[in-house]
Amino acid sequence: MNDSSVEQDGFRDAVRTWCRINVPAGWRQAQTGISDDEFVAFQRSWFATLRDAGYAVPHWPGEWGGGMSIAHQIVLFQELAAHDAPRLVLAFVGIHHAAATLLAAGTDEQRQRHLPAILQGEVWCQGFSEPDAGSDLAALSTKARRVADGYAVDGQKVWVSGAMHADWCLLLARTDPDLPKQAGLSYFLMDMKAPGIEVRPIRQATGESHFCEVFLNDVRIPAAHLVGEENAGWRVARATLSAERGMTMLELAERLGNGFRWLLDTCAQPRSDGERAIDSAAVQDRLAALETEITGLRCLCRDLVERIESGRAGPADASIAKLFYSELLQRMTDFGAEVSGLAAHTVLQKPRSSGWESGAWMLDFISSWEWTIPGGTSEIQRTIIGERGLGLPRGS
Amino acid sequence: MNLELSDEALEYGQTSLRAIEAAGGDRLVQIAEEEPDRREDLVGPVLTVLGADELDPYVDEDEREAAAVLCRSMGYWVVPYPAAGRLCRPRELKAGGLVVVVGAARGCVPSGGPDDHWVAVDLDGRRSWARPRRPVEPVRRTSFVSELDLHPIDSDGAGAVPLGLVLPCWTLLGMLDRAVALTRGYVLERMQFGQPLASFQSVQFQLTEAEVERSGLEELAKFTLWSVGANPSEALADALALRMAAIEAADVVFRVAHQLHGATGFCDETVLSWLSRYSQPLRRLPLGLSATRDQLSRRLGRGGLSGIFALDEVPYPFSEAGG
Repeated sequence: MNDSSVEQDGFRDAVRTWCRINVPAGWRQAQTGISDDEFVAFQRSWFATLRDAGYAVPHWPGEWGGGMSIAHQIVLFQELAAHDAPRLVLAFVGIHHAAATLLAAGTDEQRQRHLPAILQGEVWCQGFSEPDAGSDLAALSTKARRVADGYAVDGQKVWVSGAMHADWCLLLARTDPDLPKQAGLSYFLMDMKAPGIEVRPIRQATGESHFCEVFLNDVRIPAAHLVGEENAGWRVARATLSAERGMTMLELAERLGNGFRWLLDTCAQPRSDGERAIDSAAVQDRLAALETEITGLRCLCRDLVERIESGRAGPADASIAKLFYSELLQRMTDFGAEVSGLAAHTVLQKPRSSGWESGAWMLDFISSWEWTIPGGTSEIQRTIIGERGLGLPRGS
Repeated sequence: MNLELSDEALEYGQTSLRAIEAAGGDRLVQIAEEEPDRREDLVGPVLTVLGADELDPYVDEDEREAAAVLCRSMGYWVVPYPAAGRLCRPRELKAGGLVVVVGAARGCVPSGGPDDHWVAVDLDGRRSWARPRRPVEPVRRTSFVSELDLHPIDSDGAGAVPLGLVLPCWTLLGMLDRAVALTRGYVLERMQFGQPLASFQSVQFQLTEAEVERSGLEELAKFTLWSVGANPSEALADALALRMAAIEAADVVFRVAHQLHGATGFCDETVLSWLSRYSQPLRRLPLGLSATRDQLSRRLGRGGLSGIFALDEVPYPFSEAGG
């Protein structure tokens, strides 16, 4: 790892200066207890600010508005995390999954239509999972049948994050029920304003409702919105899923590192009994263990990004990073809830647009359960590590 | 020593499970969250039917066992009611309930109603009248936890502290019973890759890990219930040890339960979701894991716990005397 060229060209200083000027002061307070509309407006505004600086899609190819080197991206995400910048929540699927799909398998027309639109704020969601197709994603049963000019889609998707705000959806549907599971799937770009789509938010344990069920009733999708060949959707989906790895993991690891400072703050606060958690040897022991793990995670994710970039990534590297991160996030937020004492149960306000570790530890902990399940459960990650990483025999 | 519950206690446990189910079961917590002021109306009658107010866990082992299994049943159904605190109430003060707190001004609950005369006691036995503050957040989020205003009474409460720590562990045990049962049912039913999740060995191993933790806690809870009555001098250390074990077991059980339930487990439409939420205050108040460990270490020093055999009853294999 050598950052010297980045440091020498003054990029870190430039990002720091930019953050000091542009990260909205007091955004955490302003994002607490707000409506959905206010959240969406803030996210759009923050995305535009980052975009105008060239910081929204640094990982995209230069011709589409990105082109930043890996070394510079690492510095960018480190500084955004260190300056506690708001996260891009609304744009996340668009700039990562949709863009990765279009770049890997989209037609020129699809790229021309959507990549600039994403930069202008087009919001995406991902419609993969179904009630009976979670870890066994290839078992999905939403059907897309051929009609004049395209397809008609019927079925139900679930755990669609942000569907209520989305303009477009990355949709996986079965186009040939007679082919083996993975072989009969196709990948579509679905306009969320098309007739026949019903979105029902699901209330989560935290009280938020960012996951949705999406009911599809004879939804028409033009043939031009098919990505890749018909029945080749599984291969395209794998490209989309891989977008959750790499730089997104590095960003999350840097955010977790910043969150550790919140944890230290929590431990150092005098409680109503006058004592501070941080003065306890047991607490110091846990903090030391957590910081060691966070340092390991940051190194791991940085290494992962560099391996992906140089084509040296092993088949299980991304799974190791996700498993490490998600379980560490649970441990850290759990500990935050523990040391917060009574306040964890009575002060329950989490700023929207914040990371998974916001300092509202009880809500952070409950939210952290999501991380070991979507995007490939921990069981799936362990299977990948065992079979592809360690070369163990495939389980029955 | 007694590590078994009496037949009467076991039967009372079954009766209380059925009575709570008949009174609404899982619906109780949902109704109480929507209409918090109805909590007493929802739960009070079933406690009356079960004779809860006549139980005095301080007097003898039978009543202590009955109180414990009642708490366990309340946990199983996630009844949003501080039954353990009510059962532990200091009768001589005509109090409505008892809650163990840490520090002079640090409240914890789940509280009684605003008009209840609850007593807070700290680990050193200092007692105060405790009045819950009106919560700022809706109960849906606070799980009925509220801060307490404390008004000192005396320092005569040390004898109540062990039971005040032990009975909530029985409530938590009931929650773990339920979490394991729910998860077992779910993995047997949920099909993925053409077979029930339960047929995957990794799933079985996770669930068995949870069951080992749950059953270990059950045994320790029975031992501690006996110990707090039989060994007053060691009751606090035993109670803290149980609390530590209960928190650790809950961490494992709920981690496994959530993982195996997948996304449905963190949606507020499943029993596991609210079970898990309501387990949080029991696991973290008045002492979380680190703080419980810290208190236990301070009290044990180099002496250790007596456990089920006193150390001097067991020949130490490597001592000079033994050799």
